[in-house]
Amino acid sequence: MSTDDRAAVEAALRGPAVTPPTRAALLARLNARYDRQYFTPAEFGQLRAAAVRLVPHDPAELDLAGLVDDRLHAGRTDGWRYADSLPDGDAYRALLAALPADFATLAPGAQDEALRAVQTRLPRAFEDLLAELVEGFVSHPLTSYRFGYAGFMDAPGWPQVGPNELEDREAQYGR
Amino acid sequence: MAAESRGALPAAPDVLVIGTGAGGAPLLARLAQAGLRVVALEAGERHPPGGIATDEVAQAGLFWMDERLAAGGDPVGFGRNNSGRGVGGSTLHFTAYTPRAHPDDFTLRRDTGQGVDWPFGYDELEPYYDEVEQFIGVSGPAEYPWGGPRTTPYRHPPLPLNGAARLMERACAEVGLRTSPAANAALSRPQEQAGFGVRPACTNRGFCQAGCSTGAKASLDVTYLALAEQHGAVIVDGAQVTALLTDASGRVRGARFVRAGREETLEAGTVVLAAGAIETPRLLLRQNLANSSGQVGRNFMAHVGVQVWGLVEDDLRPYKGIPGGLISEDTHRVDGVVGGYLLQSLGVMPVTYATQFARGTGTWGPALIDHLSRYNHVAGINVLGDCLPYAHNYLELSDELDARGLPKPRVHFTFGENERRMSAHAEALMRDLWARAGARDVWALPRAAHTIGTARMGEDPSSSVIDPVGRAHDTPGLWICDNSTFPSALAVNPALTQMALSLRTADALITHLKETA
Repeated sequence: MSTDDRAAVEAALRGPAVTPPTRAALLARLNARYDRQYFTPAEFGQLRAAAVRLVPHDPAELDLAGLVDDRLHAGRTDGWRYADSLPDGDAYRALLAALPADFATLAPGAQDEALRAVQTRLPRAFEDLLAELVEGFVSHPLTSYRFGYAGFMDAPGWPQVGPNELEDREAQYGR
Repeated sequence: MAAESRGALPAAPDVLVIGTGAGGAPLLARLAQAGLRVVALEAGERHPPGGIATDEVAQAGLFWMDERLAAGGDPVGFGRNNSGRGVGGSTLHFTAYTPRAHPDDFTLRRDTGQGVDWPFGYDELEPYYDEVEQFIGVSGPAEYPWGGPRTTPYRHPPLPLNGAARLMERACAEVGLRTSPAANAALSRPQEQAGFGVRPACTNRGFCQAGCSTGAKASLDVTYLALAEQHGAVIVDGAQVTALLTDASGRVRGARFVRAGREETLEAGTVVLAAGAIETPRLLLRQNLANSSGQVGRNFMAHVGVQVWGLVEDDLRPYKGIPGGLISEDTHRVDGVVGGYLLQSLGVMPVTYATQFARGTGTWGPALIDHLSRYNHVAGINVLGDCLPYAHNYLELSDELDARGLPKPRVHFTFGENERRMSAHAEALMRDLWARAGARDVWALPRAAHTIGTARMGEDPSSSVIDPVGRAHDTPGLWICDNSTFPSALAVNPALTQMALSLRTADALITHLKETA
């Protein structure tokens, strides 16, 4: 249950095994929501629907489409792009425009078929968008909890680093 | 802004250093220790260990995020990889892997007829390697099985081997490859560091590539830059250089830079450009400086860096332990390839792994989630291999401007036949090793790492930008000290060699200043 997951995450983040800078970053991310500012409502609807198929998640819980919109609105880059690609925002717009206009309401199988087609047609924009969504997904504290990832609880250090040599807080974190 | 509250800069220092990474920092300390008045300008901010989060996204500020354009058949990604920004440069996020180059890395052309020889050899660098390893505190084995002669053992015992390292150790033993704990510039026991205080032993937090939160890793801010400041060097952070100042005679006289939104200038007797193999040629090309050879921006190189990943039954927790714990250099020379490579085990942080998997395999949907959910069982191994210089690999200025209004660099990179053969050789070997380790869902990520070349050193002013000690052939007052100057890529990670070169260039500059005083 999401409420229980969130409570477990918050308890871990407020615990003594997490350093203050790590706690600040992860607590802010746990509850981050974004207002759509960059994409049009129609583009954003396409983006959100595509994001759910590409990196399955609950948008009410993890605002991955909003994260992309927010970055583009703020003009942040990840430091590079393929020279033969359009700037990120334009490349993503072209990708979303290449999906069927009714993409958001298609059956899941038809959505996946449309996504496979744009992965072939616009491989670099597809790769960049996928990587960006994956980053948002994996860096979210709820995902960490569900995957049993405890690397952020490192304030006491890790005296044992061999295979299967887990500290209690590692073995117990996650579901 | 912190930068605005700082006082005026010292007027007309003897030497102005641009960049505080592995090229600029040891030199800055050496010059300050020699009594010279020195100032360093660093585009990025200070990142003291206490402010470092165990989170890759939160640590994006360690990287150069102004957009660069990746062109060619094997485009090199930047940002989270292959860039650095901050007081300490890319050593803030290096994994601290510090193997020495081998004597034969410097003589590839003599030995094979291909590549380019360095204007000096291993014997010239050996005392500097010793000095750097002792000062920054490298942890390594008592007896290192490969490479040139060592006169001094590593200062500290090796760091513990994590899961991937132990798998690689076992698999290599099966096929008769020798392995050793790697040399890593993170402390296996505490060390007193001049100008900083006591640096603690490594806690095996495997987030080196997102910055060290304890000071155990020898990033330059806690080592050479602390020493430099102790001896009076002034380090100005948040100061991005936009141009070099020149006089009517063509001599470089200082730099123009932007700090806290304001443009400033600083004049200096000598300028040392140490901004790295992307920003150094980018700056020079904008003014066509030091370029009578036409070599600025040319011969861009990036190491062969193919990685092989797999899932194992064991719970490995790849976020623990120094990422590159184990090494083999039995592949330093391999049949059918010019040059060679080293093999290393790989720990990995979760976002890095996940985004590489998505980019490298194109997997999405439930299959993606299923794979990523097994992150704790991920085992990695990779290589670092030499790369020949080619005319088709170069950096140029594009017509696109970045957010600061400066032309974006466009970097062309395509592996040659030699790098493709080396990559294939390495991938086959690592797939075999990982099969022996019992890994499933094995996949390979072809990849190039590090930025090298673009302002090469050499004896001949018609084919090189700087002379063998670091002075620009054709531009008085300008020296260059960073990985842009490497004539060839070497079959090892560049940071340790760069630090050794930095001390060597500093000694030459001190001698030069004395002679011309």
